[in-house]
Amino acid sequence: MKRLTRMQIPYRVWMFLFIVIPTLILFVLALTNMNLYQIGAFDLTLDHFAIFSKNEIGIAFWNSFFYSSITTLICFLIGYPVAYYLSTLPNKTRKILVSLMIVPLWSNMLLRIVAWEKVFTADSYFTDLTGISLNLIGTQTAVVIGLVAMYLPFMIFPIFSVLEKMDRSLHEASKDLGATDFQTFVRVTFPLSSSGVISGVIMTMLPAMTSFVLPARLGLGTISLIGNVIESKFMKEVLGSSGMSINEGAVLSLFIMVLSVAAFMMITRVDKEGETLI
Amino acid sequence: MKKRLWKTRAWKALGIVLMSITFLFLYTPIIVILTLSVNSSKRAYSFEQFTLQWYVDVFRDPSITGPIVNTISIAILSTIISTIVGTLFAIGIHSLQKKSRIRMMILNNVPVVNPDIVTGISLMIIFSLLSFTLGFTTVLFAHIFFSIPYVILNVMPRLKRLDPNMYEAALDLGCSRYEAMLKVILPNISTGIIAGGLMAFTMSIDDFVITYFTSGNEYMNVSTWLYAVLGRGQSFTPAAYAYNAMIFAITIAIILFINLKKEKKGKLA
Repeated sequence: MKRLTRMQIPYRVWMFLFIVIPTLILFVLALTNMNLYQIGAFDLTLDHFAIFSKNEIGIAFWNSFFYSSITTLICFLIGYPVAYYLSTLPNKTRKILVSLMIVPLWSNMLLRIVAWEKVFTADSYFTDLTGISLNLIGTQTAVVIGLVAMYLPFMIFPIFSVLEKMDRSLHEASKDLGATDFQTFVRVTFPLSSSGVISGVIMTMLPAMTSFVLPARLGLGTISLIGNVIESKFMKEVLGSSGMSINEGAVLSLFIMVLSVAAFMMITRVDKEGETLI
Repeated sequence: MKKRLWKTRAWKALGIVLMSITFLFLYTPIIVILTLSVNSSKRAYSFEQFTLQWYVDVFRDPSITGPIVNTISIAILSTIISTIVGTLFAIGIHSLQKKSRIRMMILNNVPVVNPDIVTGISLMIIFSLLSFTLGFTTVLFAHIFFSIPYVILNVMPRLKRLDPNMYEAALDLGCSRYEAMLKVILPNISTGIIAGGLMAFTMSIDDFVITYFTSGNEYMNVSTWLYAVLGRGQSFTPAAYAYNAMIFAITIAIILFINLKKEKKGKLA
């Protein structure tokens, strides 16, 4: 087996190039006045951190926190019972239902968002189709429902995969030893499924926090999350005046990175090799 | 006893209700997309008439054929490359000592956990630093980059189930290292490789965020094209819905095929 280890060396180089170096550059961009497209001499500066004091950034941070927390909470409240219920079903039904949950994920994300736009608009195509006229476009509710619908499967799958593998005889043992159903759930089942819950929460929360197309479309441009600000700093404002927008974007990206490192440490604690991630 | 039965029923009902809500959330947009794909109205304010015109347009309308060809060629190329390379990397990582194996797996999972926007920006930065022109090559590299971790995550559990002595036995019995890998390791992990490849393909064909940051202004896949059209406040041809409906049909066929095949195998065994 020793000789086979050589095969992972190129992967180290690859990861160094695409993960470590860009992260270092993000740090440099955040802490200096370096221009990404015309690299020359640069000086250390903390100016870019001033964006945290801007009102719109504060609102975007609050929105990100608010929408991702609500989304994650709803996804958990729906997703855990669904995953649990799935795991109690007979093998065949379970497989069919899980497959049916995967299929919609293969539809284009942007088209799904456009479809939700039609659902939430009053007297729209959706009204013509179903007779239901919702006037939710541009509201918090629309954004939350859209986010939940988008990320719910990512909560269900990790929890389900842990519950599915769980040894059922543990339940019986717990009941034989005198625990009630509720006690069995709280003290046996739930703690054993915690790795799936942690993965599920992270796989829902981080994408919801950084989404930018969905809040922009379903919020009619009035709801801005941190993802919208980062997108604008890297893709739109660059063409404008200041030229330092990328550096400000780098500050915000680093902030997101800090969160994902924290999430990462939690995952590695419960699941070292990332088996609950797929 | 009666009380207990009632309780189980209540929990079951809750499970069914929440499951229905889940399917409502997941399938509402799909139904809208499917009906729009056969709706003759271009602006899609109402359902006018049944038509299959958009399904023809998928192959004919130049505004959408370009992005579709780009999406599919990137998906095929990145799947082939990331599946082969990812499998080799996985075999390499698996043969490491436990401690360094875990360290490599943690590194491997960085792109999986990192939000797409961070991955996209990181790649954009490294490409501009290496003075690549953003376009086909950079998108291909980006897709290979985010696909490899998924291939490795799918292959790894299969490798763990493989008896480590098998490879040595093959060598002792006179296989070259190349033959031992081809004839002993690969057949045993093939289901993981296929699952990983499928996952890589679906991630690639669906990707928006990472392509958006690494593609520049000229090169577009279906998602970035839609985003650009929407951003200009215009409406896109309903052929986009037809394209999506076709992908939907193909994925259902693949799932049915896999499940049926498994069943057959199960019966034989």
